[in-house]
Amino acid sequence: MTANRHNSLFDGVDRWAVLLYLLIVIAGWFSITAASYDESAANLFSFSHFYMKQLVWMGAAWLVAIVVLLLDERYYHMWAYPAYIGGLLLLLGALAFGKEVNGAKAWFEFGSFRVQPVEFAKIATALAVARVMSEYSFSISRTGDLIKIGFIICLPLFIIILQNDTGSGIVLGSFLFVFYREGLNKWLCIPVLLVAALFIASFLLSPMALLILLILICTGSEMMVSGQIRSRLIFLAALFLSALLLFSLGALVSPGRLDGYEALLIVSIAASIGVAVYAFRANLASTFLTLALFVGSVVFLPTTNYLFNSVLKAHQRERILSFLGVINDPRGADFNVNQAKIAIGSGGLFGKGFLQGTQIKNGFVPERHTDFIFCTVGEEWGFIGTSIMLGLLCLLILRLMRMGERQEEPFGRIYCYCVASILLFHVLVNIGMTVGLMPVMGIPLPFMSYGGSSLIAFTILLFIAIRLDAATRQFSFQKL
Amino acid sequence: MIDRQEGFARMRTLQFIVLFIFLVLGLRIAYIQLFDRQYKELARTNVMRREVQYPPRGEVFDRRGEYLAQSRECYDLMVVYREMDKRGFDTAKLCNIVNISKKQLRQKLADARMSPRMPVLVTNYVNKEDKLRLDAANYRGFHTVYRTVRHYPLHVGGNLLGSLGSVSEAFLKKNPYYKPGDYVGIGGVESAYEPLLRGTKGVKVRERDTHGAIKGSYMDGLFDTLPVPGSNLESTIDARLQLLGEELMAGKVGAAVAIEPSTGEILMMVSSPTFDPEELVGRERGNNYMKMLRNKRNPMFNRAVKGKYPPGSTFKLVQALIGLQEGVLHPSDRYPCRMGYTVGRLHVGCHAHESPADLRFAIATSCNAYFCYVFRDILENRKYGGVKNGYDVWKEYVESFGFGRKLGSDFLDEGNGYVPDRAYYDRIHNGYWKSLTVLSLSIGQGELGCTPLQMANLAAIVANRGYYYIPHIVRSVDGRDSLDRRFYERHYTKVDAKHFEPIVEGMWQGVNVGGTSTAARLEGYDVCGKTGTAQNPRGKDHSTFLSFAPKDNPKIAISVYVENGGFGATVALPIASLLEELYLTDTIRRPELVKRIKDMKIYYPAYDR
Repeated sequence: MTANRHNSLFDGVDRWAVLLYLLIVIAGWFSITAASYDESAANLFSFSHFYMKQLVWMGAAWLVAIVVLLLDERYYHMWAYPAYIGGLLLLLGALAFGKEVNGAKAWFEFGSFRVQPVEFAKIATALAVARVMSEYSFSISRTGDLIKIGFIICLPLFIIILQNDTGSGIVLGSFLFVFYREGLNKWLCIPVLLVAALFIASFLLSPMALLILLILICTGSEMMVSGQIRSRLIFLAALFLSALLLFSLGALVSPGRLDGYEALLIVSIAASIGVAVYAFRANLASTFLTLALFVGSVVFLPTTNYLFNSVLKAHQRERILSFLGVINDPRGADFNVNQAKIAIGSGGLFGKGFLQGTQIKNGFVPERHTDFIFCTVGEEWGFIGTSIMLGLLCLLILRLMRMGERQEEPFGRIYCYCVASILLFHVLVNIGMTVGLMPVMGIPLPFMSYGGSSLIAFTILLFIAIRLDAATRQFSFQKL
Repeated sequence: MIDRQEGFARMRTLQFIVLFIFLVLGLRIAYIQLFDRQYKELARTNVMRREVQYPPRGEVFDRRGEYLAQSRECYDLMVVYREMDKRGFDTAKLCNIVNISKKQLRQKLADARMSPRMPVLVTNYVNKEDKLRLDAANYRGFHTVYRTVRHYPLHVGGNLLGSLGSVSEAFLKKNPYYKPGDYVGIGGVESAYEPLLRGTKGVKVRERDTHGAIKGSYMDGLFDTLPVPGSNLESTIDARLQLLGEELMAGKVGAAVAIEPSTGEILMMVSSPTFDPEELVGRERGNNYMKMLRNKRNPMFNRAVKGKYPPGSTFKLVQALIGLQEGVLHPSDRYPCRMGYTVGRLHVGCHAHESPADLRFAIATSCNAYFCYVFRDILENRKYGGVKNGYDVWKEYVESFGFGRKLGSDFLDEGNGYVPDRAYYDRIHNGYWKSLTVLSLSIGQGELGCTPLQMANLAAIVANRGYYYIPHIVRSVDGRDSLDRRFYERHYTKVDAKHFEPIVEGMWQGVNVGGTSTAARLEGYDVCGKTGTAQNPRGKDHSTFLSFAPKDNPKIAISVYVENGGFGATVALPIASLLEELYLTDTIRRPELVKRIKDMKIYYPAYDR
């Protein structure tokens, strides 16, 4: 099996994935050129220009890609945990010694260029998640294993949030995609998504309505998992009735002391203890998990305001509120998104042509070569350009899933899915924010946004998947 | 662990989710790029800064090529708040250069702060030297915009020329060409020829970046247009005449209008009191305007085209002409006059003169009684079966002389004057009236109202023996005689030319043989004239004089009207005579008369209470 493995560098390498990667990177370079081109500059080929720098980064990324392809695929399995530890240390290092950019202490600075460790922490986390989940004894329906995997994800997430780089942290939430593929009960996915939705809704709804929604969602999903509909309905009825009873009693004893929300909260907490005991006795993992989710949310939701005000920075708060329509201010918080939409929208069907974008060139779009790079595509290449870019990104993600599916080992499959989910999340949030579908979070568009650390990290992320896939294919070729 | 089949199913679900996410993104982008047009417009407004290029306003010359209204370059000082030097600058020096107070500057900067990307006016009427000093000082964020400002070297013809003012809110709504801050002609020539004088604004479309800094011209100047300078107008006015007219009318209220009969060109048009048009220019405009508005004599009211006066005895000319045309009067007809005309209790007074008079003499001596007979004969003509029908015929004749309606001159605010119709008398006399009821019309009194322009036009009609050209103030535009057709057409009255001879004869006799107008005599110039003394319920009689000269091939027809001036011969006549003298002989041989008239101040109880 190992005898003549490396007869060629590209043996078994998925050509489609590499081709898509190259196309996207090159399209990205053209966009960066358009976004940073300055015809009045003295020397167009000076390395002070973003597009010239990016050329260097592209070369470096391709070198790294070749190194990734040259390494034995078993190293990635072997080095998953050390890489994870290393990633955590990098994150902690940035937190301790890093440089603060845009309020996030998430950068290392070496001379004139900066590295964001979170980019590499994503790779490490993906490897670690793949390693844990591919253990033979791992079962996603077991509570202990779920907690283990949750721990692996939450540890870097926690550090990232401490770094004040919430946008990048949320990326890790995309691993839900992987868990689903690996057999996570779908009725557990739904409450997780719903709680995320509730976080947003908490700005719009009253605490009482939130609590009732939460009870209904959690009981409902547990009901679907266990299949015991009747008893859960009785539980719900009992819960609300006793809350009503407590409220009336409180009103009788000392009017005005106890309001409806407090009554419901007290009853819910009491009921939670009861459910915990019941779940422990009956050994119902999913019930336990739902309960944990519920308690977590009950603790979490009243503190959203606190979190919102302390964890998020003023401009992020404004952006979220503006996105939710709570505030509407086209010159202020909405400005970035509005200008991004104007740039994309003014492109029309065919676009204005390379280097002809008036909005990009005149600096109306903020961060136009990094986070808002997609605006350049939209303005200069029009709907044709944006469709092609969306198509390329979509094909790459689907290709990764396909590569995952044909792996022999769960490690390779899970890793491919991790890459796909990270890419999907980035694309969704990044492009979504430029067209006003998502709140503005500072995360780059994979392979396209300007930046060395981001390009190299995504290249490594992708090429590890390609390397793992190549190994499988070499293996299967040899079998034939 | 899940089995292969379940895994496959889940992969399908995930594929579906991926496709769904991309579909949503794609649809959203398609909506923004293909269906929602607003972003294209917003993108344009983002990068475009339209800089208006103001054309120089056309200038106005008099008929001999002298400047009446000149355009001088001046500059508006604008500021774009965002581009200002944030570290501060020498405000004292800036205020000093453009001559505004620090408080004004602070106020303007506060305004500019409200719209930080827009150029906001700091001050206007910055002259060239100050502009150069500003350029030298190079204040960041400040720039100047070329405009023109009016200058009136002769300081004449305030009401005649009109003035320039900022456009009003209401005006902007009706005229989309104008934008706030534009100037528009108000009154006189300025408003009548506004579209010609203003030219066409040009625009320079500049591309700017997000900081508002100009990056150059947008689309290589594809949307730029050059300003088209306003047309220069040659006015029909004779500045010397205008100047003398204004001098002579000083201290009096009234109007004097002179017309060249062979063309209808207005040689002079004085409305008194007048004002120096220079007063309504520049930063003092507002204050001076208010001062004039408070002046009880109302200098901004153009009496020459809007005033409504009883024509008095000068109207006897019309009366006689109608009688002649109708055949109820013959030049040789004599009517008796014993200090007036008396029927029963009705008495129209007259002064002492030989009696009975024939038509020529009646005109020369301005006999009231004579024209009472004529008027009654016109109205009571059997042909028409009744006074009221006769009145209708009379009214038609009167209107053919240009009375009771706008003449159609190029003054936009021309008045109608007033000739009452039959219904009016029916109303006030309960339907029962006869020729004696309206007898005062026979000598140009009563309800009759004429503008001084209409009276001057009457002089021109008589001078032309039966027709007139519509009086107008502009002769040519940019050297071309491209006026409206109506100014080149003869407008005939309903009276034949042959009937004018005895009238002209009478007017000539009145000046040159003996009558009320002998003081208007100019040796060698066969002046014809007719005085008028219009009774006036509010004080002294109005003094008026109608004249043209020479008798054959008349060069000038003139009407002078002085409120409360007394007899026609006392004030109006010498003014008209001096103006004719200047126009016909190019000299003034009676400087002592000029001085006497100039210094004559008339007391106006109606205005100066």
